[in-house]
Amino acid sequence: MENSKVNSTEPRIGVFVCHCGVNIGGVVDVPKVVEYAKTLPGVVYAEENLYTCSEEGLSKIKGAIREYGLNRVVVASCTPRTHEPLFRSACEDAGLNQYLFEMANIREQCSWVHSHEPEKATEKAKDIVRMTVAKARLLEPEEEAEIAVADSALIVGAGITGMTTAVSLARQGFRIYLVEKEPEVGGLVRRLNALYPTMSDPAEILNPLIEQVKSSRNIQLLTSTGVTSVRGYVGNFEVTALRGKTEELKLNVGTIVVATGAEAFDPEGRYGYRRLAGVITQLQLERMLRDGELGKPKSVVMIQCVGSREEGRPYCSRICCMNAIKNALIIKEKSPETDVCILYRDIQAYGRNYEDYYKKAREAGVIFIMYDKDKPPEVSRSGIRLKVSVVNAFMHQEVTLGADMVVLSTPLVQHESGRDLARVLRVPLGSDGFFMEAHAKLRPVDFATDGIFVCGTAQSPKNIPESIAQAYGAASKAGILMASGKVRAEAITAMVNEEICRGCGRCEEVCEFNAIGVEDTGGAKMTAKVMEAICKGCGVCAVACPTGAITMRHFTTKQINAMLEAALTPGRG
Amino acid sequence: METRMEDAMAKTNVRYCLKCGKCTGSCPLARVNPEYSPRQTVERAILGRKDQILRGKGVWWCLTCELCSERCPQEVRYPDFIRACRIEATAKGIEHMCAHGGMLAELQRAMTSPEVKQDRLGWIPKGAKVSGTGDLLYFVGCLPYFDVIMEKIKPDSVAIGQSVVKILNRVGVTPAIMPNERCCGHDLLWTGEVESFKKLAKLNMDEIAKTGAKTVLMSCPEGYRTLKLDYADLFGELPFEVVHTSEFFSRLIDEGRMKFDKSIDRKVVYHDPCRLGRHLRVFDAPRKVLSSISGVQLKEMERSRAEAMCCGVDAWMCNSNSKQMQIERLREARMSGADLLVTACPKCQIHFRCVMSEKLPKSVFPVPDEAKIDVMDLSELAAKAMGL
Amino acid sequence: MTTEPKIVAFTCNWCSYAGADLAGTSRIQYPANVRIIRLMCSGRVDPTWILKAFELGADGVLVSGCHPQDCHYISGNEKAEERVNSTKRLLRLLGLETDRLRLEWISASEGARFAEVIKDFTEKLSRMGPTPFRSKRGV
Repeated sequence: MENSKVNSTEPRIGVFVCHCGVNIGGVVDVPKVVEYAKTLPGVVYAEENLYTCSEEGLSKIKGAIREYGLNRVVVASCTPRTHEPLFRSACEDAGLNQYLFEMANIREQCSWVHSHEPEKATEKAKDIVRMTVAKARLLEPEEEAEIAVADSALIVGAGITGMTTAVSLARQGFRIYLVEKEPEVGGLVRRLNALYPTMSDPAEILNPLIEQVKSSRNIQLLTSTGVTSVRGYVGNFEVTALRGKTEELKLNVGTIVVATGAEAFDPEGRYGYRRLAGVITQLQLERMLRDGELGKPKSVVMIQCVGSREEGRPYCSRICCMNAIKNALIIKEKSPETDVCILYRDIQAYGRNYEDYYKKAREAGVIFIMYDKDKPPEVSRSGIRLKVSVVNAFMHQEVTLGADMVVLSTPLVQHESGRDLARVLRVPLGSDGFFMEAHAKLRPVDFATDGIFVCGTAQSPKNIPESIAQAYGAASKAGILMASGKVRAEAITAMVNEEICRGCGRCEEVCEFNAIGVEDTGGAKMTAKVMEAICKGCGVCAVACPTGAITMRHFTTKQINAMLEAALTPGRG
Repeated sequence: METRMEDAMAKTNVRYCLKCGKCTGSCPLARVNPEYSPRQTVERAILGRKDQILRGKGVWWCLTCELCSERCPQEVRYPDFIRACRIEATAKGIEHMCAHGGMLAELQRAMTSPEVKQDRLGWIPKGAKVSGTGDLLYFVGCLPYFDVIMEKIKPDSVAIGQSVVKILNRVGVTPAIMPNERCCGHDLLWTGEVESFKKLAKLNMDEIAKTGAKTVLMSCPEGYRTLKLDYADLFGELPFEVVHTSEFFSRLIDEGRMKFDKSIDRKVVYHDPCRLGRHLRVFDAPRKVLSSISGVQLKEMERSRAEAMCCGVDAWMCNSNSKQMQIERLREARMSGADLLVTACPKCQIHFRCVMSEKLPKSVFPVPDEAKIDVMDLSELAAKAMGL
Repeated sequence: MTTEPKIVAFTCNWCSYAGADLAGTSRIQYPANVRIIRLMCSGRVDPTWILKAFELGADGVLVSGCHPQDCHYISGNEKAEERVNSTKRLLRLLGLETDRLRLEWISASEGARFAEVIKDFTEKLSRMGPTPFRSKRGV
């Protein structure tokens, strides 16, 4: 039971059921759901919208709030993870506290997953609306606490992406800790020989950037350093890092940017790698080209998609096609007599000037042979040379190629240290191992966790301009937070009913954030008190409390009980 | 069974109140929380301020320990009056004070289902002799559930039941135990959920009838009171005798069937549970059992028998007042010179163990060392003294 | 009325609820038996609610949170696991099959897994049949 101020006015709930074009309306009988909503106790208004999140939809909500005196709003549409902030904001505009708003997820968790069962989907949508209305009846207005945001950022990874972010933020006046696990900065780009499609020298791009990093007064560069633990929350992260093997550093920052990049997949066991001399990876070829060790091979065969677009790693690594074409052109330029053949499944030439680049390779005499996923090439020894046999997917005939060098194009994959970092920051990795952004479309550089951002190949394989664009994006997002100097904490915090609290301290025992503790209130009485700015709203204390004295704002025990009743008893709720 | 405040006022002598204040002066709750006053609640009732009473906290804070009615010169039965108010409040949809997060109530409500088939026999020790029928039924109560719900304080409530069964077997009794025994309904009744209580009562009566028992033995005073008084209230004279373990053991001692061959060298003090003591007037039997054990030095607390202080919690509605009462009572137990506190109620045992298990740092009013004492149930001690 | 099993799922906002959303975004179909209650953390799940769900007639209860080590609140999921195990002991005493209470770790990227769990749970519950508390639901 909670000690909240009892809302003396009766709930007047408005329900807005969205068609979402045909996404919901094509499966769920939206008009039926609207009619049903009207029968629920507390609902004084219900309507359907085509796109509730549109300008029109939002103004209808605001209008209804004013016209019908709504004091609770339920929007039945997509997941709150997309548009809850938008709707909350609309409510605030109409003078309604944003915490008096709740969403019923009838798209991601209903119409989209039961599209072949429209009747069941409609029944489920009704249930979901009933449950949400049951919670809405018990919602209380809440005020958000303000948290100060430190004007410093931690950037993990000093490759081209991390350094770009660092310089951008440093220019805006923020203090930056740029942490790099290697002794040198520059990441993968440092190991490249040339960049496509301009054929520029990576040093031309990296060196000025490194210079800016080193000369900036706002950037503290920490190489051979890894992040070992992070506590705290947006605006106030307490970072522990280890420099070398012995020096422990404690940093206090307001925001964190993950720019840890990626590494190339090791094709151990494939196509004779490490078993047959002459079979190398594209990265190893870059080094050879840079150090002038190419020589004059008679024939070079490149194999694409080695380790990507297959079981376990179903993604395309985006950069390998252009990279292979780049190296093919370089080889042709250095050694025109060398035969270069690229064995591919598809050619990704999606970007600006990429199609021209491919054409150039064709003009230079690079041969492209398409192979089928199910019939991959075979590499074997043939005297002092290598033999590559591949089934030409167009001719349906096997082709045998002699080769002095076989170069394998492998995908980018997440580092082991990247996985460790994900655990330390408690941010998710996608099923492909890369860091998972908050929303695939709308929030590409955010994590769901406030104050932590991601950019570059740490988030997914991409080329340099794409990485740099994300670097600026992350810098911008982090910059906004730090520039405003404060952020509002969601009002989902613990509340103690001091009359029932017996001061036993079990809440204090379970809280990971030291946000709740028992205090002496004088007169031999003790009670638990919550520090709302620190409370993260997990609710673990509420369950640990033996007397039931603690509940969580916006996820109160009463609300959950009401949702359960509504879910399981059609007549009630 | 009164279910409305006005009916209760008539039946419980509330209208005779002299406003003398002996109730508030005696109330263990009022001692630690000056906001609470039985006298004022009664005054409000007489003035017809029903809503204020039903919606107030006072109705739920009462421990229903009957210390007030013990001393009231007009014999106002305040806890019974409170119970009726609670029932009426619940019927009106007014929520009762949170009782241990609602966990026990959920379980008890679950047991009102006729179709539920519990595992009520798993706690029985291996080799023990029990039956589905018999002259004597041991009504176990919620002991197995307590051990799971309260696992953080390790109450070992089930040890009580196991001790009872071992003792019975030793004296040649094979008790019947119901395989689908329901909670007696005490907690639901005292938190106002009278309809669910009635369902539990009916189911239990049917189950008891199936055993053919003539005597129902209870180790829990709350169950004891509920069957003896409240079931009788519902169903009329019961077709069986209801007796508490302390009374039964006392009988067995008189008959020479219960002998304690082991000596227990402890200074023991007995805590009178409210339901066993004041509600049902059983004061001597437990003391007789304890005195019959060689080695036991029986002490008495200053406030004992009909004057005993409540353990601080009623029907799991533990709150900010409970802890001080518990610490006071435990201190009192130590001051009697004892090093072992014996109770005859599994719930009192849980409440005392709970407060002593708190791990607060010393700087924040901890449970002082002079309020720590070993706690054991009467049946467990008796079993130990029988070498079981 | 249908005798299909009713499942209540308590999901955590950061991982499992997002995983359920991903199943939707990926249009992975699964049976319409589950009703999801969103919480911030699986550590918020109170055993009393689990009992209440069964008492009100749910045939199965799913508690789903982040994988170990990945909890947004550090150790909420560990507490969820302890509490679910305790609750299973209570269910056993009540005579309910403990498989009716299921604890799963489902991350934000495991949309397919969420759907699979619901399919599997629905199927297993259908075989178990309705709970003794079914009559409460007025079905």
